[in-house]
Amino acid sequence: MQLDLALFANQTLSGLSTAMLMFIAAAGLSLVFGVLRLLNFAHGSFFMFGAYLAWQVSSWIGGGEFGFWISIFIAAAIVAVLAAVIESLVFKRLYGRPELIQLLFTYSLALIAGDAVKKLWGSQPLSLARPPSLIGSFEFGGVILPYYNFFLLCAGLATAGVLWYVMQRTRIGMVVRAAAVDREMLQLLGTRVKVVYCAVFSTGAFLAALAGALVAPTTSIVPGMGAEVIIPLFIIVVIGGMGSIWGALLGSIIYGVTLSFGILWFPQFSLFAVAALMVVILIFRPQGLVGEVQTR
Amino acid sequence: MKYAAKNIISCLITTASISLGLSAGNMVMAQEKIKIGFPMALSGSSAQFGEPILKGAQMYVDEINAKGGVLGKKFEIISRDSKAKPDEAVRVARELIGREKVNFLVGSFTSGEGPAISEIAKEAKVLFVALAPKTDRLTAPDALHPYVFRTSANTTTEGRAAAAIVARWKVKRIATIAPNFAYGQDAVTAFVAALKKLRPDMEIVDQQWPKINEGDYSPFITAQLGKKPEGVFSVICCGNFTAFAKQATGLGYFKTINNNFINVAEGGSLESMQALGAEYPLGIWGNAADALNFVPTDPAVAKVHADFQARVKAYTKLQYPPSWVVSGYIGMQFLTEGIKKANSLDPLKVGEAMKGMELMTPLGKMTMRAKDHQLTRGMVWGKSVASKDHPFPILSPVEYIDATPLMD
Repeated sequence: MQLDLALFANQTLSGLSTAMLMFIAAAGLSLVFGVLRLLNFAHGSFFMFGAYLAWQVSSWIGGGEFGFWISIFIAAAIVAVLAAVIESLVFKRLYGRPELIQLLFTYSLALIAGDAVKKLWGSQPLSLARPPSLIGSFEFGGVILPYYNFFLLCAGLATAGVLWYVMQRTRIGMVVRAAAVDREMLQLLGTRVKVVYCAVFSTGAFLAALAGALVAPTTSIVPGMGAEVIIPLFIIVVIGGMGSIWGALLGSIIYGVTLSFGILWFPQFSLFAVAALMVVILIFRPQGLVGEVQTR
Repeated sequence: MKYAAKNIISCLITTASISLGLSAGNMVMAQEKIKIGFPMALSGSSAQFGEPILKGAQMYVDEINAKGGVLGKKFEIISRDSKAKPDEAVRVARELIGREKVNFLVGSFTSGEGPAISEIAKEAKVLFVALAPKTDRLTAPDALHPYVFRTSANTTTEGRAAAAIVARWKVKRIATIAPNFAYGQDAVTAFVAALKKLRPDMEIVDQQWPKINEGDYSPFITAQLGKKPEGVFSVICCGNFTAFAKQATGLGYFKTINNNFINVAEGGSLESMQALGAEYPLGIWGNAADALNFVPTDPAVAKVHADFQARVKAYTKLQYPPSWVVSGYIGMQFLTEGIKKANSLDPLKVGEAMKGMELMTPLGKMTMRAKDHQLTRGMVWGKSVASKDHPFPILSPVEYIDATPLMD
């Protein structure tokens, strides 16, 4: 099949835009799993709340350039605070429990969140407008890249950079990594591990909500969006390796690009390509591409 | 002490209300109702259409009940969320039949749910009126049985009506994009077959099949544009048009194909236009169950339609009543008249009575065909234009295309 350069570039770019958006949420999921050993099925709900709250805040303070950016960050911040509260009330009881219990528990929370959203905002889809500066697209020689997608690419890479820096180059990151390796020892050394756990969980939720708020202008905000996104997120985190930020980035890129070229070459089986890839990776590298073999 | 007293009082209140509730329940039981099990998509993207359908059925039932019901009995609708998923629809349909002991099943939204519930209805011998699924397979000769009837349009008539519109376009290279399940596949098949007859010179250059409820259409859109189509037939359904349109506009999709774009699956519905507001692409074609500005050409029908819209407005307390309400209403109309004519709740007798029945619906006269249990249900079609009276576009000129000549 012939493939001209512009088409190739378009498919790559649209795959990468998908990838970066998924990465922001997947990084949160992976972080929570890596440090807290918590399989959080309700991660998608934070994503959904991020989108709804962004809509809500922007309807209060008005849209436009300023309104948009403020709404995105206020939404993610509200979700982070909410997550911290929920963590100290319920999630902290899940640490160290069997994965099945964690999955069932967080799955129920996701269902409750879905209904709560319906009660609060109804089932009509809501729509958040793009900021005026990001309407339109770059066009050169048949290659089209909407400004907003370009911004998403930058936002994803920036998130990866910031997370890497914080985790590897700061004292906070060191403590978090230590908490992931040996909670008891860290506690003995005088660190308030409970606070660290709460902060990590809240950061994970912040990332999910940020991704949800950022996706809002490109799609419709509906009660089911949390459930729709959680499976791809798990696929990404599994492909990349649970608990690894670079794994999440690699997983997202593989997911996005496989999907977009799968669509081009096998339109009828586009989802099959992603699922097949996951199966193959799990057979040869059960720990994921970047993940380490679990010793605990 | 104070707390103890408070506790006792609230306990007593609870007991009182439970016993009151029970006795009220018993009184209702004594009167005996006609129970309608209503599996419908009430969550997820499809809920924006599922909820108005339920409202339409409820409005009809309230109106009939106010007049004393049928056969001296009142209707009761028991709705369940089918989540637009076939397995969930089957589960709730079984529960409605087994536990709620419903007399009839009315509802279902997607073409995945409809045929699945139809199987349950056949097995349990409960009459099922499908309100929204359009797949031809629901009433195809090998799937048809005495317990299934459909009051929505089907993919054959929808695809043929769209082909007649596309055949007028002065282009040659046509592409399709449709969700990869029964509805999308059947609609595309019907459209392509009809188009080949009307315009043998037109060529299908690309076909995309995203899944239902896809969140990210960009890769499909760029892949399609890569094949350089000049016009597109789209079946993006089930509340997904909002996301699709936003992403397509960003990628310059509608501009590239010069607005030669037609979206069936209620792409032109008020619900979709309201959701997108000013972001709804202008100059594209779409269809809908009904439209705010639709005025039937026959003055008698126009009067019925205007009266219906006024009642819907009062009932829903919405400034702009949703287009799908009419689907719930028409389905209940046929079932109720069937029960009246049969003078019985027996599913086979009611089904027999519905065969060949002609009724004046809010959209005009329609017939429930005896041979395939399919209503001669048409849809409204038009091009989207900005409206100075509404904060969203409208279909204009809006035209009702009768399904009768398109069916066989």
